[in-house]
Amino acid sequence: MRGRRLLLFFLVSVASFTAQGAAGASAEASLKEIFEAANIAASRGDHQTAIGNYDLLVEAGVRDPDVYFNLATAHAQSGDYPRAILSYERALTLHPGDDKAEENLHAAERVLEENRAEAEGEAMIKRSSSAGEAIYGRFPEDGLAYALVAANTTLFGCLAWMWITRRRASWIYTLLVASSILFVFSAIGLGQKAGIFRDGPRAVALGDRVPLHEGPYPQAQIRGQARGGDRGLAVDRDRDFVKLRLVDGLEGWAPVSAVGLIDLDETVH
Amino acid sequence: MTRLLTLALIWFGALPWVGTASAQPEVTVTLEATPTEARVGEMIQLEVRVHARGGRIQNLALEDLRKYPELQIISHQTVRPMQFSFGFGSGVQVESSLAEIYVLQPTAAGTFDFAPAVARVDGKSYGSQPLTLVVRPGMGGSTGVDDDVDLPDTIQEGELSGARFDQQAFLRTVVEPKEAYVGEQVDVTVYLYTRLRLAPQSVTPGKPSMDGFWVHDDPITSLHGQTAQVRGVQYRAYVLQRSAAFPQRTGELTIGPPKVTFDVGGMSLFDPPERIEREGVPVTIEVKPLPPPTPANAVVGRYGLRARLDRRDVSTGNAVTLRIDASGVGNVQDLRIDLPPMVGVRALQPVIRDEQRFQNGKLGGTRSWEWILIAETPGAHTVPPVRLVFFDPETEEYGSASTEPLTFTAVGPAKPPPAAIAPADAQPRKPSAAFGPIRMYSALSRGETPVRQRPWFAWLLGLPPLLFVLVVLGSSTARHRERRSTTAGAVQRQLLRSAENALRSDDPRAFYDRIVGSLNHALDSRLGEPVAGLPHAELRAQLAGAGFDDDLVERVINELEGADFARFAASGVNRDEMERCLDRTETIVERIQRSSRSAS
Repeated sequence: MRGRRLLLFFLVSVASFTAQGAAGASAEASLKEIFEAANIAASRGDHQTAIGNYDLLVEAGVRDPDVYFNLATAHAQSGDYPRAILSYERALTLHPGDDKAEENLHAAERVLEENRAEAEGEAMIKRSSSAGEAIYGRFPEDGLAYALVAANTTLFGCLAWMWITRRRASWIYTLLVASSILFVFSAIGLGQKAGIFRDGPRAVALGDRVPLHEGPYPQAQIRGQARGGDRGLAVDRDRDFVKLRLVDGLEGWAPVSAVGLIDLDETVH
Repeated sequence: MTRLLTLALIWFGALPWVGTASAQPEVTVTLEATPTEARVGEMIQLEVRVHARGGRIQNLALEDLRKYPELQIISHQTVRPMQFSFGFGSGVQVESSLAEIYVLQPTAAGTFDFAPAVARVDGKSYGSQPLTLVVRPGMGGSTGVDDDVDLPDTIQEGELSGARFDQQAFLRTVVEPKEAYVGEQVDVTVYLYTRLRLAPQSVTPGKPSMDGFWVHDDPITSLHGQTAQVRGVQYRAYVLQRSAAFPQRTGELTIGPPKVTFDVGGMSLFDPPERIEREGVPVTIEVKPLPPPTPANAVVGRYGLRARLDRRDVSTGNAVTLRIDASGVGNVQDLRIDLPPMVGVRALQPVIRDEQRFQNGKLGGTRSWEWILIAETPGAHTVPPVRLVFFDPETEEYGSASTEPLTFTAVGPAKPPPAAIAPADAQPRKPSAAFGPIRMYSALSRGETPVRQRPWFAWLLGLPPLLFVLVVLGSSTARHRERRSTTAGAVQRQLLRSAENALRSDDPRAFYDRIVGSLNHALDSRLGEPVAGLPHAELRAQLAGAGFDDDLVERVINELEGADFARFAASGVNRDEMERCLDRTETIVERIQRSSRSAS
């Protein structure tokens, strides 16, 4: 009797495991198909189909720099430069130091400025530029996390070694100082990447002229406007409005649909 | 008598010291080299030393060392051994010495005469003997420091091309060949010839203008010198720039004058660095067209082609990737390949990648093209052979390379192109900038949790400080316990040994004193407070409260009572009873200690 139960349990487990694996493989296959269909559409110049398919992948939870890169490129080739800027920024967040993405981001900003300057006389996109981003911009977040763990382990390992052996060798001091510096550097970098030093996730204005209201409702007085591609922080959210603080300090409530968050997994405070 | 003899001895012993204290100083100045004959590039140790007995050394100078920049100073050391003073009565004698030790590396052959080194002691000058160093040419005429530097060892009067001669330092541009085909590699090397002792890190070269050339630099990471003779004068020659230049048009092309700035001197406080600037001369080369008849799209170099498809079977409307690699010698960035049109297949703009490297002084590498081919109709599609024609300047002949035809098959019905319907109110868009090709491959990673948000990350961060605290606490406790147990155990053993001694010497009073002391000490250590003097009833309660079992409590109390009694009635105690008492006490003490360990 007991043997039968065991056999039954084993068969059910195997079947369940196989079903889960098949479902995972099937999901992977369909994601790949969507990606390939998007690529073919983009290659044919059918940017809207390509964007739709890339968006499908993003909605399905894909957080891949190459997908964001292609999505950005499709937006740029279709002339929607603010959305291209948003997706290039996301690609660079996931893969810092991607030279091609950086180059295309600057190209999109340049074209947007040129187009606007041609129509309006002058134009300048408001870009964020903090010292932290300049220093840590090209460091991957996970790399900083591993460096922090290594520095932490080395630091306390050295302290424990000194405590146990009561020896004060010069190399241990060198190691101690080096690991302390690495610890501080990676901790600040990780904090920077995690957004501890920011008031909210980074954001990009997506519409050509995004009105910034005094309050989170459409009838509220307009305080100013953000132009497409302008960078800022999403410092608050109320129903369908998000409070956008531009890099020049101008702050106001903008419709959610007109603002794209670069840091997707960061919540608005 | 003995005292008088000792005084006399001391007096006679002191006489010579008193005499020398008032005499002239004895000074010895030496100038030596090891070896005195060497080859270019070999090390020579030069030592100047002054030794003075009874005087104060003020100065030691070897002026001639500055005269010879060909003797490069590798290291310099000043040695001033401890001065010895011997005093006795009024007589004082001082011995002191000073040495300057140089390690020299000759960069040119020749005979170097050194005048005597001069030392000043107590205001007077003393000289050494003169010295002559003979430096012979190195093996093969060069130092052998850097095999990469390839320049003629000797340049005679009329041969100094590409340079404006200068006795101290000058720049030279060497171009090879001076007559080349358009697109052929021309090696351009800029040398700095100098007799000055320069600081390598201060050298700042200025590149010559090279209009009309496509230039690829071979980076110079560090300066290495080589000895060269120009018009009978020895120079140190450094390579400042090495480039492969590819002329892009025919006719006379000019390479502009190179420039350089560097510092000389600065070896000591008295030798401040001096900034030197030099400018070379322009060099002209003759560029010839390729010999007729010139095939269309011919490039210069020597190449091979290879083509492959990433898959052979696709659904109609899907893509295959065609990759063609052209590898060989030459400027791969000149290569152009046109993919012939294919019926039923649409080819997108290719992605081009270059990989360039120097091999035996020649620039070469690989250029790769990747086309995405979309099969728009079902059936077998063939990529026709792709041909590349090149001109090899070494053989001065044309050659060609081509790929094999490749076939892939598309299955399934043809897909109609998507309808491109623009909205009625759509604004006409400006042509977009080139944003490069899209990426055909992706890991499609699905929002992996960042490392910092994974549960183990916090544990991994918290674990080292936690372990450190545990290590600190653990080692402190262990040390404390070790210290305590060592002391308590030693006292315990000493008390029992002394009880044994009392037993051997048949002294019952002392024996039972030690027994009581031993039991009390064991209990003190266990309970952490003194128990001597406590009434037995109170002691019994305290032991029970401390977790002692009843049997042990009973034994302890009985033994203490018995020992107390025996101390005051020692005459009635026999030796056998004392031996049994000692055994019992040892057992009880051991049980108390064991209970102490288990309790802790």
